Amino acid sequence: MAVTSDAPDRPKYDPAVDLDFPPPNLGPSVHVVGTVVNVHPDETPHPKVRRGEMGKVLFDYGRNTISADPIARTNSNRCRDKGNVFTDVLRRAPQGQINPKRTRVDDPKLMSKHIKNVGHYFGASIVGIGRSHPALLYAGGTLRDTGFIVDSEEGPKETPQELCKKYPYVIVTPVAWDYDLAQAHRHHIGDAAYDTTLMQTVLVLTAVENYIKELGYTALRGKVNPQAAALAGGVGELGRNGLIISEKFGSRIHLSDAILTDLPLAPDEPIDLGVQDFCKVCRKCAETCPTNSITFDENKQVFNGVEKYKIKWETCYKLRPLVTQHWQICLTCSTVCPYTKPNTWWRTLAVQTLHRTPKPVRPVVVRSLKWLDDRFWGKIPNKRVRWLGYDSGIKPGVKACTVAGCTAQHDAAGHKVDIPLSDIGYYAPLKENTNRFVKR
Amino acid sequence: MRLPTDDPYWDAFINRAPADPNNLIPHGFRQVTPGGVNPARTEVHSPNVMSSHVKELAQFYGADLVGIVALEPDRFGVVCVMRSDYDPQVAVGIGGQTPALKGLFASFTVGAYIRELGYAADSSGAEKERFAAAARLGTLDAEGRLVTRQFGRNVHVADVLITDLPLEPDGRA
Repeated sequence: MAVTSDAPDRPKYDPAVDLDFPPPNLGPSVHVVGTVVNVHPDETPHPKVRRGEMGKVLFDYGRNTISADPIARTNSNRCRDKGNVFTDVLRRAPQGQINPKRTRVDDPKLMSKHIKNVGHYFGASIVGIGRSHPALLYAGGTLRDTGFIVDSEEGPKETPQELCKKYPYVIVTPVAWDYDLAQAHRHHIGDAAYDTTLMQTVLVLTAVENYIKELGYTALRGKVNPQAAALAGGVGELGRNGLIISEKFGSRIHLSDAILTDLPLAPDEPIDLGVQDFCKVCRKCAETCPTNSITFDENKQVFNGVEKYKIKWETCYKLRPLVTQHWQICLTCSTVCPYTKPNTWWRTLAVQTLHRTPKPVRPVVVRSLKWLDDRFWGKIPNKRVRWLGYDSGIKPGVKACTVAGCTAQHDAAGHKVDIPLSDIGYYAPLKENTNRFVKR
Repeated sequence: MRLPTDDPYWDAFINRAPADPNNLIPHGFRQVTPGGVNPARTEVHSPNVMSSHVKELAQFYGADLVGIVALEPDRFGVVCVMRSDYDPQVAVGIGGQTPALKGLFASFTVGAYIRELGYAADSSGAEKERFAAAARLGTLDAEGRLVTRQFGRNVHVADVLITDLPLEPDGRA
């Protein structure tokens, strides 16, 4: 019996057929080893969840969640009124046109340097410029990551190959989230750090996109997988945790989206930070992942023609509705990663040491660095963070009085309490003295 | 960030007015109506603590200086001031307007936070330099421009948030 498939026909990149495009150089952590079927934006996690294909619970989570935390209501899709989310208002703002008077670019190297200056000036932590390649692109349409919702849209019908010939460069402008605040991950504090950089990344990308239009060139968003673009642009390497690990910030960078452009640029080369050798040994993210979504295998897997560490995004995503009452963004794999550290001299020294060590000797250096990391930062970093009246030492759901300086007895059984007891684990505007109420 | 002196495109980035004003984010952004006030109001018992939170949050969102000015008995203005390398009133390019962009981000997100707490927060560009001086962030010079102790005249005052959130003001208008 003939096997029929309902799967739509997607464009492919086949290194044996597409002779115009030799396999892309994505650095030591990712290799294109076979035919890559381009992924349609509709088949990526967020749109699938929002359509209900991942089950009722996730559907409800994706569309109907309102956070108990006021900051989360202003910087994420868990909002009450989307007009209070910066990036949603930005999305609805009128779009500018491409300047018909094009700026002449005589030296693409100078323009590359300029775009990097511009990106940093707008607030990007890193600006990566890479060469576009059909294997990095989505199958068609547009993946609209507005920082508020991620949705797919109909777009131009050009194939990835046609797009790459027309627009040969990709730009990514990640923003790094705060190291200290992210120590309180699995808490509103970590959520705030993460979600705010999403808004900032979208802001920087939009500003760079508008500036390229003003230079008289095209800037397309939502066409390129931002992680692949970051690899091509030398931002970092892909870790076991499925995140891009950068030189200065480790995996605490927010990518969100990439710009595909015809502005003449001189692309960067992928970098080698020793991530490939480190991830082989370390497995810290796999051990701490609450959903076992990260592989323990020493060797990488080949998935869709790409050799890499593949995470199970379905189980990773399914944690969210279970915890959404208390916090949202897990970030464990990013926070425990030994590369995710403050950007200081000793961190640079460690990365440079590994980078300069010849490959055969690297496992020894990795083991000693991992030992140091476990010794000084803990196998599972667990630091108490206080910020804005939030306190990661207080567990969600703990109730206490929120009147500053209050000394009344509130917890006597059977007594009516005049002053309401509130969830201080959510938002505690007034809890200089909550220590007296909370056992630790 | 150190300003690039050897970048041949930098001057146009800072000073050349955009051909389409909608390519300037603050211009397009102001054409969209922001969200409303949360009907479930959060009780605020200690205005002094709330003030410190609002200021800390504005700094987290990128404001360099934050002050609170009392306008009427129960109305306050939250003023965010951004350090600026170029004067946005003169440098009309997309780059020159960067302090306005960053000021918009800080001021909008803090305003959204206040609205989500259940209090009004309306942006107003009127008399913002005077309110900044009244919030003790600096003094006004003869031309009515803000001069700060930290950054001198190299500052941009973002739109003032007019709110009824109970706060402890730094000064009175």
